[in-house]
Amino acid sequence: MSELTLQDVRKSYGEAKVIHGVDLAVKDGEFVVFVGPSGCGKSTLLRMIAGLESITGGDVVIGGEQVNDIAPADRGIAMVFQSYALYPHKDVYGNMAFALRHAGEDKAVIDERVRKAADILGLQDLLKRRPKELSGGQRQRVAIGRAIVRDPEIFLFDEPLSNLDAALRVQMRVEILRLHQRLKTTMVYVTHDQVEAMTLADRIVVLRDGRIEQVGTPLELYHHPENRFVAGFIGSPKMNFLSAERSGDGTTVTTHGSAPIEVPVQPRDTEGAVTLGIRPEHVGLVAPGAGDLDARILVAERLGGETFLHFDLGDEGDFVVKADGAATHESGETVGLSFPPQALHLFDAQGAAFAPRDRNALIG
Amino acid sequence: MTETASSHRARASRLRGLSTRAGVHMVLAGYTLIAIFPVFLVILNSFKNRRGIFTDPLGLPGEGTFSLEGYATVLTQGDFATYFSNSLIVTVTALFLILWLGAMAAHALAEYRFRFNTLLGIYLILGIMVPIRLGTVAILELMVDLNLVNTLLALILVYTAQGLPVAVFILTEFMRTLSRDIKDCARVDGLSEYRIFFEVVVPLIRPVLATVAVFSMIPIWNDLWFPLILASGDATKTVTLGVQQFIGQYTVNWSAVLASLSIAILPVLGLYALFSRQLIAGITSGAVKG
Repeated sequence: MSELTLQDVRKSYGEAKVIHGVDLAVKDGEFVVFVGPSGCGKSTLLRMIAGLESITGGDVVIGGEQVNDIAPADRGIAMVFQSYALYPHKDVYGNMAFALRHAGEDKAVIDERVRKAADILGLQDLLKRRPKELSGGQRQRVAIGRAIVRDPEIFLFDEPLSNLDAALRVQMRVEILRLHQRLKTTMVYVTHDQVEAMTLADRIVVLRDGRIEQVGTPLELYHHPENRFVAGFIGSPKMNFLSAERSGDGTTVTTHGSAPIEVPVQPRDTEGAVTLGIRPEHVGLVAPGAGDLDARILVAERLGGETFLHFDLGDEGDFVVKADGAATHESGETVGLSFPPQALHLFDAQGAAFAPRDRNALIG
Repeated sequence: MTETASSHRARASRLRGLSTRAGVHMVLAGYTLIAIFPVFLVILNSFKNRRGIFTDPLGLPGEGTFSLEGYATVLTQGDFATYFSNSLIVTVTALFLILWLGAMAAHALAEYRFRFNTLLGIYLILGIMVPIRLGTVAILELMVDLNLVNTLLALILVYTAQGLPVAVFILTEFMRTLSRDIKDCARVDGLSEYRIFFEVVVPLIRPVLATVAVFSMIPIWNDLWFPLILASGDATKTVTLGVQQFIGQYTVNWSAVLASLSIAILPVLGLYALFSRQLIAGITSGAVKG
């Protein structure tokens, strides 16, 4: 039993409120990722789960037991830190055995568990090395090994990959996924990188300013963001937003002098301006005049496999279209942009999304 | 054409680099000479007799001037062994207390968030700006009241107070740079706050402890003021005070003074050698640590 439940968890430092009441239930064996911009409180929340930060209000429940006032070591958790946090004066074996030795575990048991963890992570030949003799990836593996050795109910990861270079990060991401498949332990993972969140998570928790913006599977968040913040945060390059005017029953909009566009969302009474959102990969490129809008290409970025076309649509800033790598469009050229109705998102003035008419209608 | 030009430029810049390096080394060598010369002079003259010292103070001990009479006087007259061990006891104990209390205070200031943290830090560091000798009269009165005059404990307490401000200051600044993660990791591993300090923090700050030790040690070992005022009894004299017995009102036994000073240098050298490897690491750690 290693579910994790957060009930109206709050944190404030004096007057400053950092976490404003978070409710979340993490199922046994689930891989949950907290994602959000820096300063959104995701690390603080994780540290509260670990017991490293006191809880101002609400309850943290691990495996059915309220742990608010229980010391970190007794919560059945293990944590992997961004800076690895290896003890520099101990070798790899000493680092991995440290917690167990401290707990007064039997020598043979310690040895067996350390060797097993070293096997899982391919650290067998490094056990006698000091941390300073290891590469970044190896250090992170030791940090993970140290967590495995403790055989926790819940793994907590605090941005474990952000100190690694890009290639290593991809490799370690896969290793963490395989580790989760193998151990089937509940994992809570904090990152600011939405790619990591999308690839690792069973469910993603998007946080902003100490509040949960949305919880859902990666594809739910991608296809049905509940608000403009989530829509802009998930997906790379980020979703394009266009200010729009409503007409008819409120689900038909015009933007930048386009013909009326029917957005397949449920009508809702709302005041103020609306915003139309569409992801760069969903915009179609057609001949000038044939699409919903005509626009001039500002810059074409060619990545080989794909091409990013940047447009200037006045007040909206950058508008990006992801085109095929073989696209021959040049900077300065004017093209038509077509918006497939199923791929459109509509947000009210407060940023809340209009619910889609058919939730299962995903764009392929 | 271009090749010769570029090789010419390369040679010019190599020469410039060489001359810069030579300049730096000359300055350093000059400084070393100035620093070592008095010490050298003391040791040199400690091996000469009185006549040798006065007729040719800079000359090497030779025939007619070489003599161990200074050392003989020091080792036979007076209680030099007692003074020596007094000095050692006072210095080592005070040093230990400075490092132990200083590191703990610094850890508390750097690690924990509590009311008046900054104020307390400033209070502890204030001692750097106020020389402890200004309080001599008050300290003497206090020691008289506590019946501690003419005890080594009086010196140990005063030196600990004298060394703590700088120790707290340097150690706090360094501890702030320690990664928070590693301490949190120890907490998750189940260590108590005391064991975090002793098993995780202390091994990490060893180089800085050595630096603080050397900086604190020398003024304590060399101090004449407080032994003279607080512990001038024969049983509690320190080396610097003990040397004074060879300096009379009318005659000074220079051989003995210089011999005892030469002997007094030895423990400082020894402790320095002990700490020096860590010391270099401590001085440069802030600058070059990746």
